[in-house]
Amino acid sequence: MDVATLIYAGEQTSTPWRFRLDELAWRDMVDLLGDDDLPFVGLWCDGVDVHALFLPDGHPLAATLALEGGRYPALSPARVAASLYERAIYDLFGAEAMWAVDVRPLLDHDVWSASSPLSAAPGRGGQRKGLVAFQPSDVMAEATGRVEECGPATGSLAPPFYTRLVLSNTLVAHAETQTGYAHRGIAGRSRHARVEDVCRLSSRVAAGSSVAHQVAFCQAVENACDSHVGTEVALLRVTLLEMERLFQHLYTLAGMARLAGAQLVASHCMALREKLVAEAAPITGSRLLMDVCIPGGLSVREATQMGNLCARLYGLGQKAYPQLVLLWREYPGLSALLGSVGRIQADDLERVGLDGPVARAAGWDCDGRRMMPAYDGLWRYTSGRQNGTAEDRALLLLDEMEESLRMLDLASTRIGLNAGGTVPLSMRDGEGTGLVEGPWGGVLYWVRLAHGRVAEAFCRKPETSALLVFEQALPNHAAEDTALLACSLGMNAAALDG
Amino acid sequence: MGLIRAVMNTVFWKERQKRKPLGPRWPLLLFHVDTGGCGGCGMELQAMTCLPYDMQGAGFGFVNSPRSADVLLVTGALTRTMAPVLQAAWEAMPNPKGIISIGTCALDGGVFSENYAVMGGLERRVSVDLAITGCPPSPQEILNGLCTLLGSAAQGGQKETPSRG
Repeated sequence: MDVATLIYAGEQTSTPWRFRLDELAWRDMVDLLGDDDLPFVGLWCDGVDVHALFLPDGHPLAATLALEGGRYPALSPARVAASLYERAIYDLFGAEAMWAVDVRPLLDHDVWSASSPLSAAPGRGGQRKGLVAFQPSDVMAEATGRVEECGPATGSLAPPFYTRLVLSNTLVAHAETQTGYAHRGIAGRSRHARVEDVCRLSSRVAAGSSVAHQVAFCQAVENACDSHVGTEVALLRVTLLEMERLFQHLYTLAGMARLAGAQLVASHCMALREKLVAEAAPITGSRLLMDVCIPGGLSVREATQMGNLCARLYGLGQKAYPQLVLLWREYPGLSALLGSVGRIQADDLERVGLDGPVARAAGWDCDGRRMMPAYDGLWRYTSGRQNGTAEDRALLLLDEMEESLRMLDLASTRIGLNAGGTVPLSMRDGEGTGLVEGPWGGVLYWVRLAHGRVAEAFCRKPETSALLVFEQALPNHAAEDTALLACSLGMNAAALDG
Repeated sequence: MGLIRAVMNTVFWKERQKRKPLGPRWPLLLFHVDTGGCGGCGMELQAMTCLPYDMQGAGFGFVNSPRSADVLLVTGALTRTMAPVLQAAWEAMPNPKGIISIGTCALDGGVFSENYAVMGGLERRVSVDLAITGCPPSPQEILNGLCTLLGSAAQGGQKETPSRG
C-alpha cells in the first residue's frame, strides 16, 4: 500500500481532500513515507488536531490526527523537512512530536510573555532576561575547533538570525543556526481575523515575496468559497508575480555580486531594479508590491494602466538586460568565486523539499507555474546549467529575468483597459489551498474559513527548507562565504520565523 | 570666463549644499538593526545605498559594528527576542549617539502590534531622535528624513522632534 491510498482510506472530513487517521494509521503513514516519494508540503497544528499536507500530482491531500495528551507521532524520521514544523508546533502549541529527530526550540527562546501561546491554556513565559543563549545540538556541542558567531545584529540590512560556525583551519567543520528573532506571531494573528486583515499580513510575511504570499492566500480563500476570479484578474496577478520575480531576482543578484566583491555588478543590478521599481510604483501603489491583491480581485492603484506598465517594463528591461548579462559573465573572478560556493545536489534538495530556482539550478525540474492555468501560453520551461552551484543559481536567475520580461511583453497585449474587476465573494465555511510559484519557490496557503472570518491559516514557504539546506551546505566552505551562501539559497529569517 | 565661473558656483554650490549638508560629525555613521519586521525597510535601505541615491554624498555611511556608529537605525517591530540585542547594540555605541526608527513597524509596531512575541515599537519605550514612517518608506523618503536630521543638527545643534509623518 502506498501513502496516498492509506490516507484515502481514512475517515473523510468535510473537506474532500482531507482525511482523518487514527494514531495507528498515522504511524503506518510515517513508516510508509520512508519509501514513498509523495511530495510533502507541510505540517501544522490547530490546537486540537495536527495536519500533514501532501501534493500528489499538484493536488492537495491532507491527513489529520487528533492530538492525544498533547502528543503525536513525528513525521521527521521519514521527512526531515517536517522537523522545523514540529519544532514550531511545540513552541506555539506545546504539542510534542514523539520520536522527533530534533527537539530544540525554533521560535521560543523563553523570552515570550507566554509559553505555548496558541494552545488552549498558555503557560507562564518570560523566564529568561537578556540575550538569548544558543542551544546547540549534541553534535554541535561536541564539535571542537575555533568558534565563529554571526548575528543576529551584524549591521547588514537583512532580517536577523544567528549562525555559529566551528572551524577546522579556515574551513567550516560544523554549522548551526538559531532563528526566532523575527517571529511576529503571524499564525496567531491570523486566527479568527478578518480576511482582509490576514491578506494584509500575508503581504508582510517576507518583503521580497509579498505578491506570492498575497496571491496564494487569496487563491486559498477563493477556493474555500468555491469562487474563482476572471481570466483578466488572473492574468493581472501573473503580471504582478512576474514583476516581483524580476525585482527580487535583481535584488538577489546584486546581493550575491556585492558579497562576492563585485561592487560594479551589484551597482548595475540595483540601478536597473530601481529604474523598474520606480516605473511600477505609481501604477501598482507600492514599490515592494504590498497590498496589491485582495480576495476576489486586485487593489492596484491604476489597474487600467497595467498593460502599459508591462510594456514599459519590458522596454526598459530589454534595453539593459544584454549589458547586465555580459557584465555578469565577464566580470573578472566572479564566475570562479561563485562556482566554488554552495554546490548542492538535486537529491538533497528533493529530500528536504526545497524547490524554486535553487532546485532548478541543480537539475530538479519543478516549477509551480506549470500548475497555474493563468500561465497557459505564457510560461515555458527553460533549461540552463544544472551543477547546483551559486554561479548556476545566479545564471538561472538571469535567465528567469529574461523570461519574466518576455511574459510581461506577452501579457501587455492581452490586458484590457477594464482590468481589475473584483468578484464579490460569498463567504462560507470551508477550507481551501492556494499555490503560487514565488521568487524562491512554491508558496502555499491553507485556510479554514468560519463565520466569515479566517479561523486558521497555514503557510508553506521555501525559506523553511532553505534553512536546512543552508546548514547542510556550510561545512567545507570558508567562513567568509557564509553570507554569500545564505544569499544564493534565498535564506530569509523574516519568512522563516513568520 | 570669470563671470561664468561665478554664475556656475552660485547655482551649483547652493544645490550641492542642499544635497550635502555638513554636520558636526560628517559623515554620520549608521548601524542598522532589524528588530523583527518583514525585511521591507531593510530592502529600501539597501536601495538607498545604491544609484540613483547619493547616500554617501549626502553624508551617511553604514558600519558593521555599533562601536563605530553615531546613530542606531532601527527597522521592524520590536520582538521580545531582539529587544536585548537592540539594548546591547545601544550600550556598545560611543557618546554622543542617537536612534532613528525607519518604517511604521519600528515606531509603533504597525500591523505587528503587541502580542506574546512582539513588544510593539520603540514609541513610548525609548526617546527616538527621528521617526521616518511608511510601510515601507521609500529610499528617497528615508534619505530626506536623514538629511533633515543632519541639517537640523548642523544649524542649531538640536535634536529633531520625533515625527509621525
